[in-house]
This record gives sequence, C-alpha cells and structure tokens, in this order.
Amino acid sequence: MDDLETRVIDLIAEVLVDVNKENIQMSSKIVEDLGAESLDIYDMIALLEDEFGLEIADEDVEKIQTVQDVADFIKQHQKAS
Amino acid sequence: MRRKVVVTGIGMVTCLGTGVETNWEAIKAGRSGIGPISLFDTSLFVTRIAGEVRGEFDPAGRVPAKELRRMDRYQQFGLVAAGEAMTDSGFEGPPENPFRYGVVVGSGMGGLFTIETGVLQYHAKGPKALHPLLIPKAVINLCPGMLSIKYGFKGPNFGIVNACTSGTSAIGEGYWLVREGRADMVLAGGAEAVVTPLSVAAFNALRALSTRNGDPTAASRPFDKDRDGFVIAEGAGMLVLESEEHAARRGAHAYAEIAGYGATGDAYHFVMPDPEAEGAYHCMKMAVEDAEIAPSCIEYINAHGTSTDLNDKMETLAIRRLFGSHAYRMSISSTKSMTGHLIGAAGAVEAIYSLMALKTGVIPPTINLDNPDPACDLDYTPNKAATRQMEYALSNSFAFGGQNASLVFRRIT
Repeated sequence: MDDLETRVIDLIAEVLVDVNKENIQMSSKIVEDLGAESLDIYDMIALLEDEFGLEIADEDVEKIQTVQDVADFIKQHQKAS
Repeated sequence: MRRKVVVTGIGMVTCLGTGVETNWEAIKAGRSGIGPISLFDTSLFVTRIAGEVRGEFDPAGRVPAKELRRMDRYQQFGLVAAGEAMTDSGFEGPPENPFRYGVVVGSGMGGLFTIETGVLQYHAKGPKALHPLLIPKAVINLCPGMLSIKYGFKGPNFGIVNACTSGTSAIGEGYWLVREGRADMVLAGGAEAVVTPLSVAAFNALRALSTRNGDPTAASRPFDKDRDGFVIAEGAGMLVLESEEHAARRGAHAYAEIAGYGATGDAYHFVMPDPEAEGAYHCMKMAVEDAEIAPSCIEYINAHGTSTDLNDKMETLAIRRLFGSHAYRMSISSTKSMTGHLIGAAGAVEAIYSLMALKTGVIPPTINLDNPDPACDLDYTPNKAATRQMEYALSNSFAFGGQNASLVFRRIT
C-alpha cells in the first residue's frame, strides 16, 4: 500500500464512525462493505477535496465504488493538474 | 391531571470544568472561571476575556471521538452534559414506550462556529466549498435530535430559541410536558458555544460586554457598582425530569421537585429590560403561584444577575416588588459572577446550582461584590458561600427580546 492509499483509508475511517480502520481494504466496497450512507459519501468527498486539493463532480462520485477507485481517481486527477 | 415532577439526573460543562461535582466545589469556593479567550485571536477585540471551556471537556469519553467532528461545539457540550445527567439518573433504558420520553433543549445561537467557518469558506472558494454537514451542525434542533437518537426517546422533541432564557424555558416546557401527562421523562436543558469572533464582536458593538481585560476573574461583578457588562461564556447543563411515579417505580434518587414555572414577555424593548420590571415581576409571581405557595416560602433566588447596569437594577426591583419586606430576608446570588453568562445554557446550569443549594443547604456566593450598587440593596451573598436550610428556591432568566422565565424548586426531604 503506498502513502496515498494509506491517506485515503485514514480519511474514510475518519468519516465512517462505525467502521474499524483495520477492516478497510483497498478492495472494500464503500457502500456495500463499509455501510456508508449518502451523507457519509458527501462528507468523504468534501474531506478528500480538501486533503488533495481536487474538485470531484457528482457524476464522478457515482463511478466510485471501492476504496481502490478513490485512490485511482485521486492519482489520475493529481497527474492531470 | 397534574403530576409531581422530580429531577433525577444532572450534568454540566462550564468554564469551571466538566461535571456537577467539579462545578459545585468551584462554586462553593467562590472561584471564577473567567480568563483570556484562547479560541481565536482577540488582538483587535475590545473584549478579550470569556468563560471558555478549556482543554479536554469529555474526560469520561461520553461522545465517541469519531462523532465529535460531525458536531458543532455547542452540540458536543450538550451531549457530554446529557451523558452525565443520564448516567446520574440511573435510567438504563431502553424506554418501555419510547413515545413517552421527550427531549427539550434550549440554545440562543446554536452552531455559530460552524456558520462562521462556512461563511469564510464560501467567500474564499465559492458555493461549492461548503461542507455537507454544515446544516446539521448549525441548527439548534439537532442537539435535541441527536439526544433522541442516542437514548431512543421518541416523544415530544424540540429546540427552544429564547436567547438568555432558552435553558430555563426548556426546563419549564419539559416540566409542563411531564406534569400534564404528555411524557413520563424529559431530558431538558441548554447548550451554547458563543465564544466566537462574530458573537464577541457583535456583543461588543452592542456595548453589552465587560471590557475588564486586565483582570478577568473580577470582570463579572453582578450588583456591584463597578460592573461594566456581562462576560460571555459557553457550556451546557442537562436535567432528567421525571414524573414522581416513574421515578419511584424504578427506585430513582431525586434531587428536588420542580414545583412551578412562570413565563412572560416584556413587550417593551428589543434589547433593554423594562425598567419598571413589569415582565420579571409577573414572571416570578406566575412561577410562585404555579407552585401554589406564598412568595415568602422562597428562601433562595439564583438571580439572572448578568452584571449589566440595567438587568441588576431591574431584577432587584422585581424581587422587592414581589417579595416586599421578605426580599430583605431571603438569600440571593448570581453564579454568573463565577461562570460568566452562558446565554442559552445559563438557565440550565443555574437550575442545577439551585438544586444543589437546596439539597446541600449551601448558598453560592456572588463574587466580586465589593461595593454594592446603592440601587441593589438585597442580600446577594457577597463573596462567601453561606449556609441555609430551605424548602423552596427560585431561578430567574431574562432575555434580550424581553423573554422572562422563572422556575421554583422544592426540596425533597
């Protein structure tokens, strides 16, 4: 796991009150496996935007399903900018 | 049907510390909790002191660390105080019929920190920068909402916005719900976090705050002729109100009975109290009549006593008018001399101090009362706590806007 992936997991753990960090895998599905509800997702997006200096559009949010998807999205958009 | 209502649990967070025990020790010792503001840079401010809740205020871990970031500071105070009150009540739940359990919480300003931060983010980065939790953190009804979720209370649930009277109004309205048989238990109180840049600057603009920055512990001096305004403060107080029958059924210990509640509006001015004290007088009178006792039964008043020129004179006049010569024989004090003014939480923490006074027979002092204002000529228990066994105590709150509320408590022997 690289540094960025660790940061993503930390942020997700911060938002999902009922989930232990140890139980978050890169392959975890954010809604199905980790139990995130819609407000958690928007909370998470706001944190990620702040942390990585990105803007994530709502249509991109819909494509993100796993923790890995989040990390990939950040990597792509950080490169692009 | 009029039922007896008792208080079976109490909890609080103030600048004197977390917990009723810590607070009561400080109050009996006449210790001030006022100090320099550390929450933001005050170098450009006229007032640079407040009754700030300092450092770790949740030592018992009543609010899970992960949940804290989803809450404004005022909600955090409310949940910590409610946690103490619920534990103290010994009520383990879950409620048998949850619709008979309510929550009523007062706050003057709610999530002001959250709103101020949101406004700055909006101006710096535009409308998309706003956090999705801004609304739930900002609004006042979310404190009672969160408490209902935490304890599974599905009965009447609402927030009360009544400036400096909010906490007393919440307890009074909760008391009525239980007394009239609409609920068996109500968690009631107030929560406030108003030591923010906007709030301090705005109260300064209104010329309402003490500017005694060089001597913070002497700044809140109710009834003293050198008083120069109130000292703003933050925190929360929560009480578990319960029908006597419900408390007896589960063998709960009760601090005191709530015996009466009065509520009036000045209909006079948007920030100044009526100098004839018409609203305050009728408010206390209504509370005493509601308790079905003679005014002379009241032996202690926890005064609103803000340390402003107008309030302290007006309140003294109201007390003289209602109690006549008995006014000079009763004990009065303003605990705001030590805690500062917790706005929407003030009435709730002062209700708790009143209960403790009844239960222990100790009258809290009014500290910094060195040279009484000649217009304030009653026994305000200057500088040192006194002892007095008594049966009834009354607590007052009067708001900017003219809202007045008084509660009467009766000792349980």
